[in-house]
Amino acid sequence: MIEDTQPPSIALSAHNLHVRRGRGKDAFSLGVDHLDLHAGEVLVILGPNGAGKSTLLRALAGLERSVAKDLIRGGDGPVTLVFQRPAALSGSAEMNVRAALLGKGIPEEVKRQRVTRALDRFDIQALASHDARTLSGGELRRLALARAFVLEPEVLLLDEPFDDLDAEGQRILSLDLQQAIEDTNVAVAMVTHDLRRALLLADRIAVLAPGRLAQHGLRDEVLLRPNTRDTARTVGMTNLASGRVCRQAGGVSWIQIEPGFEVPTTAALNPEQEAWIGIRPEHLKLDVGRGDGESIGKAVVESLISDGLATVATLRVHDRRFTTHLLSGRGLARRLRPGDPVSLAVRPDQVHALPA
Amino acid sequence: MLDPELQTLVEITLRTLWVCGSALLLALLGGVPIGILLGSSQFISRGLLVSSVNAGMGAPPVVVGLIGSILLARSGPLGSWNLLYTPYAMIITSTAIALPLVIGLTLAAVGSLDDEWELQVRTLGIPRHWRIWLLIREIRMGLLAAVIAALGGILSEVGAVNMVGGNIAGETRVLTTAIMMHTSMGEYEIAMSQATVLFGNLLLLAGLLTWLQQSGRKR
Repeated sequence: MIEDTQPPSIALSAHNLHVRRGRGKDAFSLGVDHLDLHAGEVLVILGPNGAGKSTLLRALAGLERSVAKDLIRGGDGPVTLVFQRPAALSGSAEMNVRAALLGKGIPEEVKRQRVTRALDRFDIQALASHDARTLSGGELRRLALARAFVLEPEVLLLDEPFDDLDAEGQRILSLDLQQAIEDTNVAVAMVTHDLRRALLLADRIAVLAPGRLAQHGLRDEVLLRPNTRDTARTVGMTNLASGRVCRQAGGVSWIQIEPGFEVPTTAALNPEQEAWIGIRPEHLKLDVGRGDGESIGKAVVESLISDGLATVATLRVHDRRFTTHLLSGRGLARRLRPGDPVSLAVRPDQVHALPA
Repeated sequence: MLDPELQTLVEITLRTLWVCGSALLLALLGGVPIGILLGSSQFISRGLLVSSVNAGMGAPPVVVGLIGSILLARSGPLGSWNLLYTPYAMIITSTAIALPLVIGLTLAAVGSLDDEWELQVRTLGIPRHWRIWLLIREIRMGLLAAVIAALGGILSEVGAVNMVGGNIAGETRVLTTAIMMHTSMGEYEIAMSQATVLFGNLLLLAGLLTWLQQSGRKR
């Protein structure tokens, strides 16, 4: 979505945001020192359950009673939040979208144009006269997005916008959403637990650990260089292991995970240093002699699970488990069976490593 | 010229409608905003107030009449207003009977909305007075139930209005107090004709409100 090299303008900047709620055992607090939302960009907020993702969205929308909060706006356009379970007002779908413009002093003709455009944008024009309370979950989500976009928001906050949708519904809605974001240059912050969907839309990623912002940065920076093991798990870097630097040559450090299983990395490490490594499943290759990186050792196929498109292969190296993704129905994915021995390979620049 | 009995019947029917209508209007004007406030806000004494409303919904009307009589009696705190044994005293007492019903049912209607309804409407940047309009629109079925319950409570009530109104002919006599009086005097025929008018009014109004409620549900 970012096409030029100009840094996008900041639509909303949060500083020293601290939310505190409840008492005793039920107490919850969230602290975020600094978080920016940029015009035309999607910030995806990831984190485990209870980390405070929805709370952060509500605080950004000004709906949380924060202990401290400093929200600096880039402009004066609306900031709106689409909830995880959108509420339908009684009346038609069109009335629901129109209701968002109540009391804003917009001329009737302009209102009509904006409502029509918003309904068209999310392909629900045919449902305009339907009772909003009879719409399906997917239709209601589209209605809620149309109701948000009719405001022509400067900042749009989305809480699990793809929840409860089937795979096809998610795909179509994410395409419509992507188009709407491009057309309107709105700054979006989106909470989702669907990592694949997040990766499709995200320009930036913020990872929450319980009660705090663990990492925040450009999409690939966070995906490929998570700052902790927990953050690595949250962003889908599932192959994690600890070891010690056993040799270094040509800017590459080799970390011994098990005897005969050494992983190369270009990360800056010292000789003999204890370190943990992280490899994304898509970067761990089965070594079939094509030169797909450096050979790192042998493994045994433990299981193969396919969803029809991708096959997730779980591989065992002594007591450790690693996963890799194969294209279903082709090549190795078709030939491999549990119990088969395989060789593994990685590119050193695709192995993330940090001192333990 | 109308038959004197029929004339009396028309007179007390109109007075009944005036007293009941005024009390209903006052109960709605006071009860709906209080119900919305209690239903959509969180504050320390809210639980106590909700308990009081629930208790008020089941309070015996005769107790309300007693309290009204004490307050409005010449020697009572509001004695200087000279309202006892006037239609205004009956309106005040009927309002006191209907108010908890209106508050309680409005509160329940607001409570039946999604927990996040208000937040969702607020995040659309809709000004406060329009949000209240949307809320009233959203709970209109519950509000109609409140109107029906309050109307039934006021129209069918006799003890309290008798105590503060005194059932004075041409002044404070309404259908319920008249029925009670004629029954005690053994004039069952007159009592029956008045009861028929009272029941007819109740049926007509309740039917109209129910029709409104049901047609709203279909929309």
